[in-house]
Amino acid sequence: MVQSLARRKATVELTRPGDAGRAAAGWMADQGIVRAVLADDPVVDAIGLEPALRAAGIDVLRWPVAMGRREVLGLEGPEDVCGVTVPTLGVAERGTLVLEASVGHGRGLDVTNRHHVSLLMADRVVETLGEALARTFADGRPVPSAVSLVSGPSRSSDIEKISTLGAHGALTEHVVIITP
Amino acid sequence: MRTCLSDAIAPKVWKATRRALERAGVEVKVPRGQTCCGQPAWTAGHPDQARAVARHTIKVFAGSDEVVVPSGSCAGMVIHAYPELFAGQPDEEDALDLALRTIEFTQFLAKHDLDPRAKACGALTVHDSCHMLRVLDEHESPRAALAKVPGCEVREMAHADQCCGFGGVFALNFPELSGRLGEQKAQAAAATGAPEVVSCDLGCLMHIAGRAHRTGIPIRARHISEVLGS
Amino acid sequence: MSTGRRRRNPGVAYSDVTGTLRERTVDALRDPTLADNLRTAGDSWGAGREVMKRDFGFDEMRDRARDIRRSNIRNMPALLAELQSNVRASGGVVVRAADADEACRYITDLARARGAHVVAKSKSMATEEIKLNEAMEHAGLEVVETDLGEWIIQLANEHPSHIIAPAVHLNRDQVAALFREEAGTDDVPTDREGLVAHARVRLREKFAQAEIGISGVNLAVASTGTVCIVENEGNARLVTSQPRIHVAVMGMERVVADWDEAAHILQVLPMAAISQDAANYVNLITGPRREGETDGPEEFHLVIIDGGRGALRGSEFEEVLSCIRCGACLYSCPMWQNVGGQAYGSPYSGPIGAIITPLLEGPSSPGSRDLPFMSTLCGACGDACPVGIPLPDLLVRARARSSSPAKRKAGLAFRVWSLLWRRGITYRLTMIGWRLGLRIRGRGGWVQRLPGPGSGWTKVRDMPSKWPPRR
Repeated sequence: MVQSLARRKATVELTRPGDAGRAAAGWMADQGIVRAVLADDPVVDAIGLEPALRAAGIDVLRWPVAMGRREVLGLEGPEDVCGVTVPTLGVAERGTLVLEASVGHGRGLDVTNRHHVSLLMADRVVETLGEALARTFADGRPVPSAVSLVSGPSRSSDIEKISTLGAHGALTEHVVIITP
Repeated sequence: MRTCLSDAIAPKVWKATRRALERAGVEVKVPRGQTCCGQPAWTAGHPDQARAVARHTIKVFAGSDEVVVPSGSCAGMVIHAYPELFAGQPDEEDALDLALRTIEFTQFLAKHDLDPRAKACGALTVHDSCHMLRVLDEHESPRAALAKVPGCEVREMAHADQCCGFGGVFALNFPELSGRLGEQKAQAAAATGAPEVVSCDLGCLMHIAGRAHRTGIPIRARHISEVLGS
Repeated sequence: MSTGRRRRNPGVAYSDVTGTLRERTVDALRDPTLADNLRTAGDSWGAGREVMKRDFGFDEMRDRARDIRRSNIRNMPALLAELQSNVRASGGVVVRAADADEACRYITDLARARGAHVVAKSKSMATEEIKLNEAMEHAGLEVVETDLGEWIIQLANEHPSHIIAPAVHLNRDQVAALFREEAGTDDVPTDREGLVAHARVRLREKFAQAEIGISGVNLAVASTGTVCIVENEGNARLVTSQPRIHVAVMGMERVVADWDEAAHILQVLPMAAISQDAANYVNLITGPRREGETDGPEEFHLVIIDGGRGALRGSEFEEVLSCIRCGACLYSCPMWQNVGGQAYGSPYSGPIGAIITPLLEGPSSPGSRDLPFMSTLCGACGDACPVGIPLPDLLVRARARSSSPAKRKAGLAFRVWSLLWRRGITYRLTMIGWRLGLRIRGRGGWVQRLPGPGSGWTKVRDMPSKWPPRR
């Protein structure tokens, strides 16, 4: 998974639950991020991310945010904003994160902001895309309104057929893998 | 099978093919009444006319042993297109029968492990016609045959698998684009430093040589039969 | 449908195309920048394809992909019924549009009813086919293409030259010039990163304003009523998450049965199209936002277009319906590599475009009947196709089906030809005549001018009158 993510031009770090909050906050501080929008998810609380961010002087917002579209898209307000997502699954073969939309997890969290940090529990990693999709859309499980398979920061090859980062989605992707 | 292109442009080619086969110890018959496999009409979108001529070809070669063709294009037509052309026709079985007996010249040499005992030749480059490469799925047999020729040095050209731009009626319908592709191929051939390009397909060679001559690109052309049956 | 309204039949080929197909190829051949840009694109694709085969097992995946798509087409009516039912169950609206007219009418009526002014679009070949942008602009809407390449050509007022990379024929300087004009300022970066960053901001303005987002559909999964949208930039995600209304437009053949099949095709698609084992974003959307969700559209509309596809099932062209619109056949085609997609005069260019444009347009389509002939039948496209469509064979069938004054003339010539060449004696006589003619006209072993249909030969080549050809 780590190798696949690196191939996708994401950055990765492995941490224990106790260190994950600090590690994520530290990475964001290094990037000059001033505000973080967090998914409303138990993992976020379990690793103590909010207090770690406040300690690093980063403004914290929790999903759902009471913001107009322009601010959500970064046309207003600070530029260096980071969306924090919690994948339901990771796909090792391709370095893909599986994000599900829900009341607590906006479907645009990983793309509307300039930066993207994802908190991936190590035991949620499966090997293949087939497995990930079979689980996500398993019989009897309610179908989410939006499932996003994310494999690396946004890129475009439209200019001279050479891949350039940062077209519409996040320019950066940092995955914190939380091992037991 | 002589092929209509050989009859029209270069009878030397089918004669050299016969010579090469005879030197390799094969008994060769060249049925007199043969004409054309029908491909020009087939690819031009006139299947009925193609079928009428193909029917004659089927009759001429009925009951013969292996039908050897010094053309990947014509062999490809019989092997790959006759089944579709004759699907549902009263002589469908005869067409399929011929398709099974037909084989391109260098493939025949490889299949029976034959040595045409050709005279020496020098450096050359090989153009794989699209029909050889993709319809007959064959890359090795021309090179295997050339390997037996004393002194023969095969220099592979860049973009060797790109089409030369002949394409039958395409050459007449879209001459400028056809010429551009032919020029690219001639340049790639000349860039190997070899003085000549050989191929299993006369159509490609006429086109490459014709374009090379018009634009002054220094490359000669010969059919592989002329090397093997020298 | 009410019979009072005049139905538009816009056809598939572009309506502003000038000249004949041959003339357009000649124009394209005269453009050195185009040639360089296409060569860069073609070489890069070729190298990428080798990597996919060598390191990612691409060849091994193709048979299954072909079988899946063939099975999808066989079961199309049942799959579409299941898809429809599941989309509706998730709160979405499904519309089956018989043709371009019905589809455009539905969408423009919807926009009017919702009081929309700005529409943000992500890449969709189907919407180009039905000329949706024209219809929406005619209805007074501002339509913005948000896929970077599509936005670039929208600004350039040009047609795309490739299904996946529409602006591949333009280089960095040309793009910077277009951005300067759009922004009304010279203060536009000239490096690639800068240009992309500039576009990001300009297009975010539109995402903020748009009331309706329109997307295409790469695959629709019948078992859950989910549409899959594959992209690298993230603009489709924004199109399907920011505006209040999402309209997804799909050709009816884009349906697969279940997630097992979808997983396989979703892996094969980026490998074939961009030589990557994964696209950056794959958006799997099932209906509108759920109760309690605060982002995502409140309405989801799926427009399923027939447009002539249904009629192809059971025909000798049925296999074209397997197409997953990867664009590989374009990159592999020596014709496309030399003239680009615009010369084809249709949103669907390259080998697949040469076959389906005349098929979808209907029998009397002067705009596209020459397309199947613009090919040497080299077979590179058939080799490139990830779902095993026998493109060269279909091109020959398309030629047989086409009808035009030129073809009828050729038909007469071939009738004479077949009368002469089905007998050994008459064949030999034509050969004697031909060879005599060559000898007479030949100078130094070459003929430089042939009459009649032969003039196409000698326009750009000499004909050898002796063999082997003299130097």
